[in-house]
Amino acid sequence: MKFKRQIMFLCLIPFLNNCTWFSSGEKNSSGQNFFKAEDNKVVLHQARSADAKTLDPQAQFDSISGLFVRSLYDTLLDYHYLKRPYELIPVLLEEMPEISEDKKTLTFKLKKGIHFSDDPCFEGGKGRELVTDDVLYTIKRFADINVNAMSWFLLSDSVVGLDDMREKTKKILNLDYDKEQVKGLEKIDSYTFKIHLIEPNPLALYSLAASSLSIIPKEAVTKYGDDFSRHPVGTGAFYLKEYRKKQTMTFVKNENYFMHYPKDGELGDKENGFLDDAGKKLPLASEVQLDYIPESQPEMLKFKNGELAWVALDRDNFQQMAFFDKSGEIHLKEDLANDFKIYTEPGLVTSYIVFNMKDNIAQNKNLRKAIAHAIDFKKKIELLSNGRGLTLGTIVPLSIGGSEKDIGNYGIPFDLEKARDYMKKSGYGDKPLQLVMTIGGTTTMYQNLYEFLRDSLDKIGIDLKPDYKTWPSYLKSTQIGDFQMATAAWTADYPDPENFYQLLFSENTRGSAFKNDEYDKLYDEMRFMQNSPERFEIIKKMAQILQEEVPVIFDSTPLVSGLVQNWLTNFKRNIMVDYPFKYLSVSQKSEKTVAQK
Amino acid sequence: MFFYVIRRLLYMIPTLLGVAFLTFLLFTIFGEDPVRQALGLHASEEAIVALRAKWGLDQSFAKQFYDFLVQILTFDYGESFSTGEKLSDIFCGGVLVSLSLTAPPFVFGTLFNIVIALFISYFRGKSLDKISTFLFVVSMSISYLVYIIVLQYLLAYRFGWFPIQGFEPGFSSISYLMLPWFIIGLVSMGPDIRLFRTIFLDQVKSDYIRTARAKGASEPRVLFVHLLKNAMIPILTNTVIAIPFLITGAFVMERYFALPGIGDITITAINEGDFPIIKAMTVMSAVLYSCFNLLTDVLYALVDPRVKLS
Repeated sequence: MKFKRQIMFLCLIPFLNNCTWFSSGEKNSSGQNFFKAEDNKVVLHQARSADAKTLDPQAQFDSISGLFVRSLYDTLLDYHYLKRPYELIPVLLEEMPEISEDKKTLTFKLKKGIHFSDDPCFEGGKGRELVTDDVLYTIKRFADINVNAMSWFLLSDSVVGLDDMREKTKKILNLDYDKEQVKGLEKIDSYTFKIHLIEPNPLALYSLAASSLSIIPKEAVTKYGDDFSRHPVGTGAFYLKEYRKKQTMTFVKNENYFMHYPKDGELGDKENGFLDDAGKKLPLASEVQLDYIPESQPEMLKFKNGELAWVALDRDNFQQMAFFDKSGEIHLKEDLANDFKIYTEPGLVTSYIVFNMKDNIAQNKNLRKAIAHAIDFKKKIELLSNGRGLTLGTIVPLSIGGSEKDIGNYGIPFDLEKARDYMKKSGYGDKPLQLVMTIGGTTTMYQNLYEFLRDSLDKIGIDLKPDYKTWPSYLKSTQIGDFQMATAAWTADYPDPENFYQLLFSENTRGSAFKNDEYDKLYDEMRFMQNSPERFEIIKKMAQILQEEVPVIFDSTPLVSGLVQNWLTNFKRNIMVDYPFKYLSVSQKSEKTVAQK
Repeated sequence: MFFYVIRRLLYMIPTLLGVAFLTFLLFTIFGEDPVRQALGLHASEEAIVALRAKWGLDQSFAKQFYDFLVQILTFDYGESFSTGEKLSDIFCGGVLVSLSLTAPPFVFGTLFNIVIALFISYFRGKSLDKISTFLFVVSMSISYLVYIIVLQYLLAYRFGWFPIQGFEPGFSSISYLMLPWFIIGLVSMGPDIRLFRTIFLDQVKSDYIRTARAKGASEPRVLFVHLLKNAMIPILTNTVIAIPFLITGAFVMERYFALPGIGDITITAINEGDFPIIKAMTVMSAVLYSCFNLLTDVLYALVDPRVKLS
C-alpha cells in the first residue's frame, strides 16, 4: 500500500491542439503553415527524392542531377517555358543558329556579357565572361569517354571529327582538349563558332538543349579535378550556396543573370496569368531550398502544410484529393480548391509491349494481332492508373508533333471477336499456348500490370507467364534478345517523333530484331526533316507499317498531374523544363506569402 | 578471461572470412550488373566496357575478392559507384546521425521500460497486469510502419507538435528527432516490457526475495536493490546485443523522416545497385555483431561472479 502511494503515475500531458513546441513556422487561421516575405525576398521550398549523383554536367544524365545542373548552368538552347508544342529558344546565343544551305553547317553567335559566377578558380576570384572557347571545351569534354559514359548518344555520328576524338579518349586519360583539333568545331572569334555536321541533322539542336551539354569553364575543371562534381561553376540563374547531402540544399539568386521572363506564350497564357511577369529579369525567386524527402507521404503532408511549392500526385494521393467529372476532366476536391490548384499535362512517355521477332512463336503475325486486339488499354488505365493516362494510336505521345493528332490513329482497337479470329488464323486457336512476358520491375505496380495482361490474354486462350526482372537484368535481356514479349517504355530525349520511330529502325532495335526495309527507308527520309505536312505523310506510312506488322503494341502515355499552392505564380507544367525555379514567384495579392527560415 | 577473449577473437576470423566470401559471391555471381544499372537505357557496349574497367569489375574473381579483403582489413572500402565519394566519409557522417536517432530512445527507453516492467510485475495477476499485457500484445502486433505513418500524420501534421520531417546538423537536430525518438520508444515498450516482466517474475519467486521481505525490507528496496540486481544479467545481455543495430540505423524511420543515417544510405544503395556500400554494410554489420556478441559474454562474466569463461 505504501508502495502504491509512493509510486506516482505519470499523467498524460493534456492534448493541446496547435501546440508548436517542436515545430517551426507560423500557422495562419486555417492551421496551415505559410512563409512570410522579408524585404521582398521570395524563398521557395521544394522536395527532391534523392541526391544528385554528380553536379558535373557532362558526367550526369539522371533526372535529379539534371535538376541541379539546369539551375546552376545554362545550355546554348533551351525549351520555351510557355509555348506548346515545345520549341527551342536561344539562351546563351543571340539568336537561333544560322543553318547553311546544305544544312550541314550551323553558325552560332554567343550573347556578349554573360559571366560565370564568381569563384576562386578564376583570376581574382571574379567570374569571367563566357566565350567560344568555353563552348568548344565543353563539347570536347562531352565526347571524352572517361567523363561521359551516359549521354554520348546525343552527339554520336553527328559532328565531323568528334567521334574520332572520342576514340582517342579510350586510350588516353586526361587528353588535353586544347591540343585536339576537331574539324567539326570551328572557332571564328570569341563569340562566333561553327559546328560542321557529318550529314544534315536538325535534331542536333535538341542535343544542344540537353543538360549534359551545359557550358562549363575550363578553369573549374583544372582547379577542382574530381571535386568539380561537387563544386559547380556556371552561368545559371542560381549558384549553390549550401550542399548538404540528404538534407536541405540551397540555391541563391544570381544577381547578374541575363535571362528575362518570356513575353509571349500560347493561347490562354495571358488569361491564366502566365504573362503577368513578362519581361522581368530572372530569377524571380531569391532563394530555392530543396529538401530531401524520399517518401511520398511526408512530401504530401509537407505540401498540405504549405511547406512545399508543388507536389506530384501519385495513385493513392490522387484518389484522396481529386476526381474525374463526367466529361473525363480532372478536378480538385472542393475543400482543397481554396488552397491549391491542380495541373495535368500529357507525359512524354510511351508505354508499349514489344515482341522478339526472332522468337519462333512471337514471329507469328496473326498471333501478335490477336494479342493486340485482346488488350483493353483504356480499362487498364482506369484500373491501374486511376484513369490518369491516354491510350495511344501511334508510338508518339500526344504532346509531340507527329502524333495521332497530326496523322490519325493507327492503333489496334480492343475487339475480342477479332482477337479470337486472329487466334484461329495463327494456328493456335485450338491449341493451349503459353507465352512469357518479361517485365522490367518487381514492385506491386508491375505485378498488377502482369495480372491485367494475364487476364486479358486468358480470354483468348493464352496462358501468360511472368518473368519479373530487376532493371539491370531487364536491360540486358531486352538488349540481347533474351525474351519473348516484354513491357517497355520510352521517355522522349527531345520532343520530336524521330526519337520514338527510331526505336523500330533496324539498326536500333537490338534485342527485338524487327526489320522492315520499307520502314527503314521511310525513317531515313523523315528523320532529319522538320515537322511539316510532307513529313507527317511519311510518318503516316510508317505508322501503317507498324499497324500491319505489329512488332509493338501501343499502350498509353501518362497524364502527369499534381498540385500547386495557390500562392505560387507562373507555374506551368513543362515536361522538358522539369524544375522551372527561375520563372516562379509568389502572389503579392495572396495573404499567404513566402518567408525566409 | 584474457585467453578466452583472444580465443574468441581468433574464432571470429574464419567467421568473418566466410561472411566476406559469401557476400562477395552473392553480389558478384548472383547480383545485378551495376554497370548496366548505372548506364541505363542508353548504354553502349563501349561505355559498358569502359565503366567495368574503371570499377575493376573486369578483373578476375580471385583478384576482385583479394581487393575486397584488403578493403575490409584497411577499413577503406573504396568509393561509391553512384557518387564517387569515399565510403569512409559517407559512413562517418551516417553513423553519427543513426546513433543520434537510435541511442537516446534506446537508453532512456530501456530505463523507463525497466521501471514500468517492475511496476507491472509487482501487480502480477491483477487487472493492471492483465490490461497492460493485452495492450502491449496489441501494440506489438501493429506494424512499425503503421506507427510511423499514423503518428507522423497525427502528431506532426494534424496537431503540429513536431516538424513533419527533415534534419539539421548540431543541436538543431533535436527538434527533428523528437518525434522519431517518441515512436522508437513507443514501439520498443511492448517487447521490452514483456521481456523484462518475464525476467522479473522469474526472479520474484526466488528464495532471496522471500528472505529480503521476511527481514523487513521495503518493497522498493526489494525491487530495486535485490530483484533488479539479479535480473540485470539477462537484461544486460539482451541490451548489449542490440547495440550493433543502433549503429546500423532504423531503416524505415530514416526514410520517412529523411534522416541521413546509415539506414537511409543503405536503402539508397540497394535501390541504385551501389555495391561497394552494400558489401561494406554487410561486412561491417557482421563485424559489429561478432564483437558485441563477445562483449556480451565478457560482461556476463563480469556481472555474475558465478559465470566463469573458459
